[in-house]
Amino acid sequence: MVELKNVSFSYGSEAQALERNLKNVNLTVQTGEFVLLTGPSGCGKTTILRLINGLIPHFYPGTVEGEICLNGQHVETRELYDTAKLVGTVFQNPRSQFYNVDTTGELAFGCENQGLPAEEIFSRMDDTVGRFSLEKLMDRNIFRLSDGEKQKIACASVDVAGTQVILLDEPSANLDYASTLELRELIRLWQKQGKTILAAEHRIAWLWDLIDRAVILRDGRIVRELRGAEKNALSAQDLADMGLRGTTMEAPEKIQLPTVKPDDETMLLRDLYLRYPGAAAPAVDVPELRLAAGRITAITGENGAGKTSFLSCLCGLERRGKGTLEYRGRRYDRRARQRLCFMVMQDTGNQLFTESVLEEVLISLPKGTQNEQERAKALLRQLDLEDFLDRHPQSLSGGQKQRLAIACALASGREILLLDEPTSGLDHAHMMETARLLQQLRDMGTTVLVVTHDAELICACCERKLEITK
Amino acid sequence: MAYSSERSQEARRSFLDPRTKLALVLVLALFVMGGLGAEQMKPLKTALSALPFLLLLAERQWGRFARGIAMLVLGYGLLFALPYLPGVLNFLALMCGGILTRFVVTVVMGEYLIATTSVSEFISAMEHLRMPQAITIPMSVMFRLFPTIGAEWRSIRRAMRMRGIHLGGAKASQVLEYQLVPMMTSTVRIGEELSASALTRGLGGSTRRTNICRIGFRAQDAVLLLGCLLVVAAWILELCGVKLW
Repeated sequence: MVELKNVSFSYGSEAQALERNLKNVNLTVQTGEFVLLTGPSGCGKTTILRLINGLIPHFYPGTVEGEICLNGQHVETRELYDTAKLVGTVFQNPRSQFYNVDTTGELAFGCENQGLPAEEIFSRMDDTVGRFSLEKLMDRNIFRLSDGEKQKIACASVDVAGTQVILLDEPSANLDYASTLELRELIRLWQKQGKTILAAEHRIAWLWDLIDRAVILRDGRIVRELRGAEKNALSAQDLADMGLRGTTMEAPEKIQLPTVKPDDETMLLRDLYLRYPGAAAPAVDVPELRLAAGRITAITGENGAGKTSFLSCLCGLERRGKGTLEYRGRRYDRRARQRLCFMVMQDTGNQLFTESVLEEVLISLPKGTQNEQERAKALLRQLDLEDFLDRHPQSLSGGQKQRLAIACALASGREILLLDEPTSGLDHAHMMETARLLQQLRDMGTTVLVVTHDAELICACCERKLEITK
Repeated sequence: MAYSSERSQEARRSFLDPRTKLALVLVLALFVMGGLGAEQMKPLKTALSALPFLLLLAERQWGRFARGIAMLVLGYGLLFALPYLPGVLNFLALMCGGILTRFVVTVVMGEYLIATTSVSEFISAMEHLRMPQAITIPMSVMFRLFPTIGAEWRSIRRAMRMRGIHLGGAKASQVLEYQLVPMMTSTVRIGEELSASALTRGLGGSTRRTNICRIGFRAQDAVLLLGCLLVVAAWILELCGVKLW
């Protein structure tokens, strides 16, 4: 069904390209097969998907060598809208793959573009809604759906279009454990129908037992292909050597860690309360809660359980939020907490405002700091950002942006650091790097709270755990 | 009963045809916001100004209705209070009141258009008007662009508060610049991902698109379109110096 013969690729024109993103890749996927593409960041798995759905070279220009065939026809020479009849893609970011504002219109969109008659589209939609159990999501505003629900709609719209080949580009990166399981069920339905599926993923545990074959890439080459018994016999060490994440699915809720231990230094939250106007029940209602100070605490819970509201309340961002925090012998009200806590958001790019890394840290230092420049540079050295002083913050990689945001937090003297899903979409090596960074911060005396659904991160560095339920 | 997308699509059909809504936005923009027409047009303009509010009520958009009325009341309140205000305040009230009373009605009409029209209905209407895809596609993206930009904006404002950068703080002069940098980067990124996704779903093909929505003129459309024509006719007559009433 899908065939790549001796494919090499580099973004940009031949003259500019320093290194190839793909080198001599040969891959044949049979009709009805489910293939996983995995490997460390930058290994070329997304590039392969883009070659198959035609976005390369029609949307992302570059130099392609070799042949890419779909059903025996060359993809490079087909128009994108022709390829769209054969190949459907679910992308990573749930927020930026919708064309419509309402869910019903979104499901119909692919078929409308193909010019199918309305009656045919309606019957296909009803069929998909039934099989995927989407009744509750129909006729809704997509902007009001959770990320998990959005990703379901993205899958459903691919299903309605009825393509034979389905590509999944890190579809679970933004999803919690429960939503990932639901996504898994949808994929099983496709498998039963005999669809040809290719998935690019870092988090491989949730589909490891479903796949027919795992293709492992590194630096643009296929380094290994695993099937059946060979795939099941991999040890944790083998996986780590190939730069892969674990293959057993673990619910973050199942990991046993205490919230506080008897000899911990603690901080005390009192009467934390937040209710959004018009809501029947409060989003946060915590009469009294002790958390460990100077430790790394994981905060887990389903999407929609109120983790984000809890964090906003804790760091004083929510004007309607009530309650106090007692920390290291002092009492902090909402405003005072704004100067004590810092939240590293999921979209770290939205937290960086200036034109250079150094300036970013300089504006965070309290007014009247002695030797501003030296102090800022020392902080950047501690966080391994010394070589990037003059770089534009928006041009840094995801991990570097994260470190820069943390440098700013330290510069402004915040003692409590909150992180919102810091490892979503990260490979094994980068996840471990984040874990080490958190440990380093703890050793410097910072209290770290991490909202996460990444069981591997929790095992790697968290010492305490708080579970939030509705 | 099993879900039927056809039935629910029919139930969601808007009170007006999208083309009628577009015509109304245009007429309001020209005459109420743009201020075309002189003394004779006054009663017509007053009638036009009431329209968007009535339409919002007809489609049960209570929140938008209340917000629109509140802005309008504020605008007229400021103008009413004008004689009692001193110096700078007087000037500010004149400016804000003037802007509000002039713009609110048309903005409310635009909001009504966006809130009650689905992307599918809009594209369908544009095709009936024989608009080329090069115009239809960018315009239809607008429907989801505003909410997207709104969400990004809120997220950036939160981030700034977190970093301790406030209006009126130590670095007030640079606040706007700080907001624009991440805003532009993320808008460009989202725009690119959005286009990639739409292209893999066959947008821009040479086959004629179909649409699942039903649009078409009904009695209410005829009445309002006739109204629009009357307004334009009255304006032309006024220009020619004909005394109407």
